Amino acid sequence: MQTASAIPSTAQPALRAEAVSKAFVSGQQRTQVLAGLSLSINAAELTLISGPSGCGKSTLLSVLSGLQKIDSGRVLALGSELGQLDLRALERFRLQHTGFVFQGFNLFPALSAFEQVELPLNHMGMTRDEARARARRSLEEVGLAHRMKLRPSELSGGEKQRVAIARALAKEPELLFADEPTSALDAANGQMIIDILHRIAHTHGTTVLCVSHDPRLVIHADRVLAMEDGRILSDRRNHAPIIDSKEISS
Amino acid sequence: MVALARKTLIYEWRRFLPAMLAVGFAGLLQLLQIALVLGIFGSTSLYITGSSADVWVGYPGTQSVGQGRSIDADVASRILMDPAVERVEQYLWVDGDWRGPRETGGLSVFVSGIDPSANGLMFSRVLPLALRRRLAEPDAIIVDRSDLQQLGVGLGQYATINGHSVHVVGISQGLRALGGINVLCSLDTARRIDNDPTDNGPTYLVAKLRDPAQAGQVAARLRGDTAFGPYTTWSAADFASLSVRYWLFDTGAGAGVLFLAGIVFLVGAVITSQTLIAAVNGSVREYATLNALGVGVAALRRVVLEQAFWVGALGLLGAGLLGIVLLLLARSQNVPVVLNLPAALACILLVLGLAAVSGLAAMRSLRRADPATLLR
Repeated sequence: MQTASAIPSTAQPALRAEAVSKAFVSGQQRTQVLAGLSLSINAAELTLISGPSGCGKSTLLSVLSGLQKIDSGRVLALGSELGQLDLRALERFRLQHTGFVFQGFNLFPALSAFEQVELPLNHMGMTRDEARARARRSLEEVGLAHRMKLRPSELSGGEKQRVAIARALAKEPELLFADEPTSALDAANGQMIIDILHRIAHTHGTTVLCVSHDPRLVIHADRVLAMEDGRILSDRRNHAPIIDSKEISS
Repeated sequence: MVALARKTLIYEWRRFLPAMLAVGFAGLLQLLQIALVLGIFGSTSLYITGSSADVWVGYPGTQSVGQGRSIDADVASRILMDPAVERVEQYLWVDGDWRGPRETGGLSVFVSGIDPSANGLMFSRVLPLALRRRLAEPDAIIVDRSDLQQLGVGLGQYATINGHSVHVVGISQGLRALGGINVLCSLDTARRIDNDPTDNGPTYLVAKLRDPAQAGQVAARLRGDTAFGPYTTWSAADFASLSVRYWLFDTGAGAGVLFLAGIVFLVGAVITSQTLIAAVNGSVREYATLNALGVGVAALRRVVLEQAFWVGALGLLGAGLLGIVLLLLARSQNVPVVLNLPAALACILLVLGLAAVSGLAAMRSLRRADPATLLR
């Protein structure tokens, strides 16, 4: 087991947080969620951040993906400092470089699986044919080639999450963020989702950062960061599958 | 481009139905109101629209047909000097006090003294030629069928106007007036009925032009000459709209229309915007996901505005179809309804404006589509 916030000695990290602090204020109450946290995430890996609920892992994800501003410190994503970008520039950065998968699948009820995936591509300035080709390829990759014409109401939970992954994947992002992607799914479907995320990291060279408290995921991750009270407690690499996941939080 | 706005509208039509109904009924209410007001107040220009005169000559400052003052009859020769003028005719308006054979109390009537000859211009469009000829008989009058009850008189009976005995020789249709009862007679009869010593000429001179299309130019050309005493000129169209506008705005009816239009707009906008806001809120997580993926807020706003536009367009379509049916029904029941292009355009504008305002209000709730909220 390595020490907390250790930086692996591989190439230039895709994501880097330097002394990041973030607090939420509600009324008189001020809650420090992240306190001077530093870490680096590598490309072409599936990194899992695990920890009990309220430990700040979702906040860390939103900060690293540029969805939320930080109070102090720096976040560098693909060499850009996110704190320097205004709202428009952040939107543009996300459009070009990032994909998201959320716990809820957040699919438009009116659109078919194919249209869900095609829709964000329309905004990336590619031709209609290219967008459609990419959408098809992406849905094939998650194993939904035969379900493309169906609406969310006709898909199972696992299939919906695969559509959501295809929607993120079709953008061919360098960074893919997933927040509790399996918590609404049964074991078999959860397994399938994590396999897909793992494969995306390895075949596309995508930096996949996944946040979850689901212990089933731990053995599939290339690297596991355990978080508690806004700090990284442990940072461990799975060179071979390790079954006992409880040691990091004990 | 995936047509998110339209596909959502079709797939979740039940959600959008209240907005479409609100827009539709707002449009329909407005349409019928305008048609009714135009129909009712349009009768105030009956004297002009029911006649074939192209240019009207009257006392300067006259605000509506019923408020003319006498002008010098010699003005006619000045008008006739213009080569564009084919025929000039006198029109005498007398306010009369009616006493019928039955007890009706004092009734106010508008006596129109017109040229009863076959080629007379006044009321040529509403008065059949056979009836018109009967006016040549001294003290003969014609009244509208719908006014018989009020006048307490029938065909062939006698009554008095301003103490002068008159004889009903004909009953016509389409002569209903607002604020009084129209009585038609010859110029000679009208002069005898007129007991105002200050009236020493016709109230109006009406002229027929060789080319009716030139009415505006000729009216402008004839204006401003004071050699025969004060007078001014209008093209028939101008004078008609002057009369209608006077009634609309000086009687408060116009203010009533505008007030109701405001209420209709407000109620429609509240319902429509609430529906659209509910629709946005229902999809707020999906919108937030799109924003997380980098689809800009501006693009999401366009989706909401497009939905508002379609709601407006579909509501308008429904209002239009139902409106046409109701207007035809009203026509068949002799309810005075008139719809012209500007009024229809005003309705369309109001409805689309309502949809736009509602869309803008709904756009505000897109603020809640913050992708960071998806991570909590």
